[in-house]
Amino acid sequence: MNSPTEQEILRARDFWGAIVLFFLSVFFLWRTSFIPLFGQNRAGVSGADWYNSAALVPFGIFGALLVLSLVLMNISIKAGGARLALTRVGIGWNRSEALRFSTLALILFFYIVGLVPRVDFIIGSGLLITGLIYGYHGGRSDRMILVTLIVAIAGLYALAAHLPRSEWKAHDDDWVALVLWFGLTLWVLATNRQDRVARAIPIIAILAPTLLVLAMAFGFRQNVPNRSGLLFSQIEYHYFVNIKPLWSR
Amino acid sequence: MDFIFLQLAGFGAAFVALVVDPLTYAYLIISVFLGITFGALPGLTATLAVTILTGFFGNKIPLDYSLIALLGAYVGAIYGGSYPSILLNIPGTAASAATAMDGHPLAKAGRGGEALGLTTTASFIGTLIGTVALLIFVWVLLLLSQNIASPEKALLALFGILLSGTLMSEDLVIKGWISGLIGLAMAMVGLDPLLSEPRYTFGWSYMLSGFQVVPVLMGAFAVPQIIDGLRHMNVGQMVALQGRILPNLAAVRRYMPTISRSGVIGTGVGALPGVGEDVAGWVSYGVGKTVSKEGDKFGKGSLEGLLSSETANNACIGGALIPLLVLGIPGSPPAAALMGAFKINNVIPGPTIDPEIILRVVAIMVLASFTMFVLGLFTAKFFIKILRIPQTVFLPIVMVLTAIGSFSVGGGINDLYLMLGVGFVAYFMNMMKYPIAPLVIGVILGGLFDETFRRSLFLSDGSLGLFVSRPGAAVLLALNIALIAAQIPMLKRGFARLRGKEV
Repeated sequence: MNSPTEQEILRARDFWGAIVLFFLSVFFLWRTSFIPLFGQNRAGVSGADWYNSAALVPFGIFGALLVLSLVLMNISIKAGGARLALTRVGIGWNRSEALRFSTLALILFFYIVGLVPRVDFIIGSGLLITGLIYGYHGGRSDRMILVTLIVAIAGLYALAAHLPRSEWKAHDDDWVALVLWFGLTLWVLATNRQDRVARAIPIIAILAPTLLVLAMAFGFRQNVPNRSGLLFSQIEYHYFVNIKPLWSR
Repeated sequence: MDFIFLQLAGFGAAFVALVVDPLTYAYLIISVFLGITFGALPGLTATLAVTILTGFFGNKIPLDYSLIALLGAYVGAIYGGSYPSILLNIPGTAASAATAMDGHPLAKAGRGGEALGLTTTASFIGTLIGTVALLIFVWVLLLLSQNIASPEKALLALFGILLSGTLMSEDLVIKGWISGLIGLAMAMVGLDPLLSEPRYTFGWSYMLSGFQVVPVLMGAFAVPQIIDGLRHMNVGQMVALQGRILPNLAAVRRYMPTISRSGVIGTGVGALPGVGEDVAGWVSYGVGKTVSKEGDKFGKGSLEGLLSSETANNACIGGALIPLLVLGIPGSPPAAALMGAFKINNVIPGPTIDPEIILRVVAIMVLASFTMFVLGLFTAKFFIKILRIPQTVFLPIVMVLTAIGSFSVGGGINDLYLMLGVGFVAYFMNMMKYPIAPLVIGVILGGLFDETFRRSLFLSDGSLGLFVSRPGAAVLLALNIALIAAQIPMLKRGFARLRGKEV
């Protein structure tokens, strides 16, 4: 069998895309029907006329999306997209591409959802940088799986131990992430002594998030994630108590 | 005549105010340097540079400095893309794709230094041409746009989304429209602007304020770039740089007609909503090949080809700022990111914009182009060294920058969740060849469209006749209908038959 052309792959994926769009637009048209269109009363107050209703533009948008999803489906079916939709062409990637994407997606998920809100920003970002450079420089799947596991353990611990916002100030998840970061760094240095990139990883992983967070917090006076983090709380304390008074006097 | 002198005096005052402020130079040098670095590293783009800096500076520094940083990075990144195009045959940004066609053969022939010197000069002249056009046309259009009211604004917003969807689609045009409609749908989330009716919040109080621009920008432009860059490693064999990187003035003089033409083409393409520098580079390259006496040499190391694309992509910047400042419709993806910066600083680009801001933008562009020229000529060897750093080292740092930027501007963890969600959706859309810029433009213009469309109907008591009785609205409505009709196969065939072409 000839290998599929890029257009055949696209049309097969368009078939799935059209189905998703179709159901999404139907769902949102149904949700839009909850918004008063013809001036119904709300809590005893007369609503607006149809032409001023908050549902008017959304009805237009989701109606247009519904029509376009049908047009896309038609184009896809005519080009053989439906026929190829359930084959390897339509479903997508080969094994290595799927591994690359899914490991990256998991790392980013645990970093943003687990680590950034709960763990000190320097520690969480240092772990992320170490993991991403080591895992994806050179494209070795064993490394990708290893770093995904490590970031996932740190993120899962933070999520499981301190899910509610009221517990985000706790430091035990900071220590877990710090130990994992330290362990991964040692592993990287021990197993890749000759690699220049590997030797640079610890420097980049410490300097980049530290400089960034300091510039944001003290240079541009921006809000930074997790001010009560293990390292940042100490930096902030010493900045305001010991350093800033030097030029504020 | 008085008007021209008044504008020139205003521009002079804005220019002097910037020149005498030492902080201007600090922001300019750092931002242009960062921009060139982003452009030079394959996988990082001008849009990403502007988006990340928008998140980094946010609204916590004065707007002037924010604009210096963002415009400096924009100008630098479009120019910086020429380095890997010439030396690695990998375009640093999509805008430099056409540059690789002739730049790399020149480098392989031992003329890399000459090619880089000419590219620097052409980018400098191109930026200035775009800036002069910005100074001239923005005022003409602003005077015309004084008559724009709600019906015209609604139709303009729709036209901007449709046109960017039409022109940016690599695959099917309807994919561009779908992308724009998804952006518009995202803009509907939150309290509606007229009645404060909650829409699609699903009981989540965070959603009441709608989708914030910066997390959407970061998600749409940065996250897919990071995932894609880490998934695919661009490995290229760098050609050793030979020859001095100095502008070849004789060649500049000889090719001045090419540079001028490309500057005008780049500016014109930039003025089309959502199109951007990559299209400008290719259109100018194509025109250059057609009109040149040495068109057959294009693609084999032609200086004319190199200058055609490099002048146009930088001239496009000034062009892209014209619709942004006059109509509030971004001319290119980086301009869409720039619009996000305007919005978070409470500046509404469009007919009601403070004219002083436009003069400052022009003055900043002039300074940024000079800074780019000087940095390009004297620090080129440093940027060539940067090319040796693999993107797997840079992209994780960009991810951290994206996270802190998105959090700092919005000030909440929810913005990070939103950024990640939008990022994954945008990644899959990219993979299926849906253009992302119309989505961002839809998010930015969605509120304006909703509010002005309903306000128009409110003023006319629900009569749609308002959209045809006003001359400006009627023209815009006709343009919108023509844009859609031009894509309907049956009508396409009809038009082709009218023109006497077989389909």
